[in-house]
Amino acid sequence: MFGRISGIARNTFREAIRDKVLLILLVFAIVVMGSAKVIQPLALGEESKVIKDLGLGAITFFCVLIAVLVGGRLVYKEMEKRTIYIMLAKPVRRWEFILGKYLGLMAVLFVSMLIMTAGFYIILLVSGIPASAYLLWSLLMTAFELAILTAVAILFSSFVPPIASAVFTFAVYFIGHLTRDLRLLAAMSPSAVVKGISEFLYYVLPNLSNFNIKGEVVHDVLLNPQALALSALYALVYTATLLLISVAIFRRKDF
Amino acid sequence: MVEEIKPRVSVPARPGWLSNLLPVVFIIWGFVGVYLLQLAIDSTGKERMREKVVAELMYFPSGKFVREASIEYQQVAADFVWLRGIQYYGYHLMTDRKYEWLGHVFGILTTLDPKFIGAYHFGALTLAWDAHKPNEAVRLLVRGMEANPTNWQLPFYAGFINYMLLKDYEAAGIFFDIASKLPGAWLVVSRWAAVSVAKAGRSEAAREMWLDIYRSTENKALRKLVIRQLSLLKFNDALKGLQQAVDRFHEDKGRFPRNLQELVRTGYVGKIPEEPFGGRFFLEGGKVRSSTPPSRRG
Repeated sequence: MFGRISGIARNTFREAIRDKVLLILLVFAIVVMGSAKVIQPLALGEESKVIKDLGLGAITFFCVLIAVLVGGRLVYKEMEKRTIYIMLAKPVRRWEFILGKYLGLMAVLFVSMLIMTAGFYIILLVSGIPASAYLLWSLLMTAFELAILTAVAILFSSFVPPIASAVFTFAVYFIGHLTRDLRLLAAMSPSAVVKGISEFLYYVLPNLSNFNIKGEVVHDVLLNPQALALSALYALVYTATLLLISVAIFRRKDF
Repeated sequence: MVEEIKPRVSVPARPGWLSNLLPVVFIIWGFVGVYLLQLAIDSTGKERMREKVVAELMYFPSGKFVREASIEYQQVAADFVWLRGIQYYGYHLMTDRKYEWLGHVFGILTTLDPKFIGAYHFGALTLAWDAHKPNEAVRLLVRGMEANPTNWQLPFYAGFINYMLLKDYEAAGIFFDIASKLPGAWLVVSRWAAVSVAKAGRSEAAREMWLDIYRSTENKALRKLVIRQLSLLKFNDALKGLQQAVDRFHEDKGRFPRNLQELVRTGYVGKIPEEPFGGRFFLEGGKVRSSTPPSRRG
């Protein structure tokens, strides 16, 4: 079982690494982080903050793009190219296939993140800004955010074409960061229905702002370990649930 | 005897009902788990989130920067700053009643969306009465007037703040005069121009102006602010009336009344007025006081 899952994961990883999209995104990310160096003289004494903000922001943003763009076509591509028939003719269970794809993409994200983080720290070093390890906490939380987002991408990928999947996943990403504000907005509405719906959405949609601690780490604010641990657990439970839904959908497909 | 033909290839069995049901059960449990975890996260992070809201505002460099950064989504950005601003105001109203960043927030907001009239109204009145920064409030309104030269309410509010807080009756008169000449202005506004020229500091005029402010807005938080201010006027009137009665009593009888009820019994006042903040009035060493601490009044 593990051999089959890791086989699929390794294959997914290899495929994605060869993908030009990934390479282009990585280059872009490094360029954006590097551009902070150009902005430096304009930052009026806030260089260190600007470079850190931009670096953490770029890493998150480009990882999200990778998850959305690469993840969005993972399963669908196999169906479109009919390679899924070859795959499923082998003694591979459907849930193993989904899990393998998921883990493969997470590996891609992990490696991309590692490369970008290395680039980020090199830029910090070159700019003479103390490269505190505290910043890594934010990246760790981003990794948990990506775990959910990748599961969302896989879920959509299992039943809609890549472009639609990318758009939907991006929408979930966007809404996931706004649920708290939407809830506040709805709290002002006199209608109980609107309030009920917003409460429902607040708890059902992934609350990605749980994972945003960029402000805290950049300003060296003390983190709340309990909130971090709970958020991590939240990511795991949410991801598992999404993967279960993906498997349930995928099982109903006739191949 | 016909031999039964058995198929050589076995057709894979369809997943049974149990294996169909099981994932659904797990998925439901998953969402229950997510719900419980979010509750737990919210309870740990509430203070953190609120602090974060403030921190975010502090680091908003300036409205201009946010304006450029939000490209074609300035209105949306303004809406979110608005939400954050209300949240900030509400939080401090319930807790420490310090509104250090309020002016900054509304500055950003109105730079993002210079035609957001509601933001000027809310920003100006909360700045003036809650944050005790009437000058900053008037500046906000003047900027609003530059962007919205035909809106009569902005100069009306500016006149109001000048009249009530800055006691600059001349400036108030000018603002009311500007307001009264703009399209849609209520007839009463020109009357206010006259009142402020007469430098009347009467609470009756103040009460009526507050009522006009109340009528000029749909914003619930703003209306609450008006109600608080009206209660404060009522409170001050009642306190002043009682104190005058006590002083008269003292002049007539050479001693202070033992309590406020004695004023009623001896006919100095008809009845003890109701204390508008839910406390009660009492007498202490010849001075009328209220059981509501000053910080909870208005």
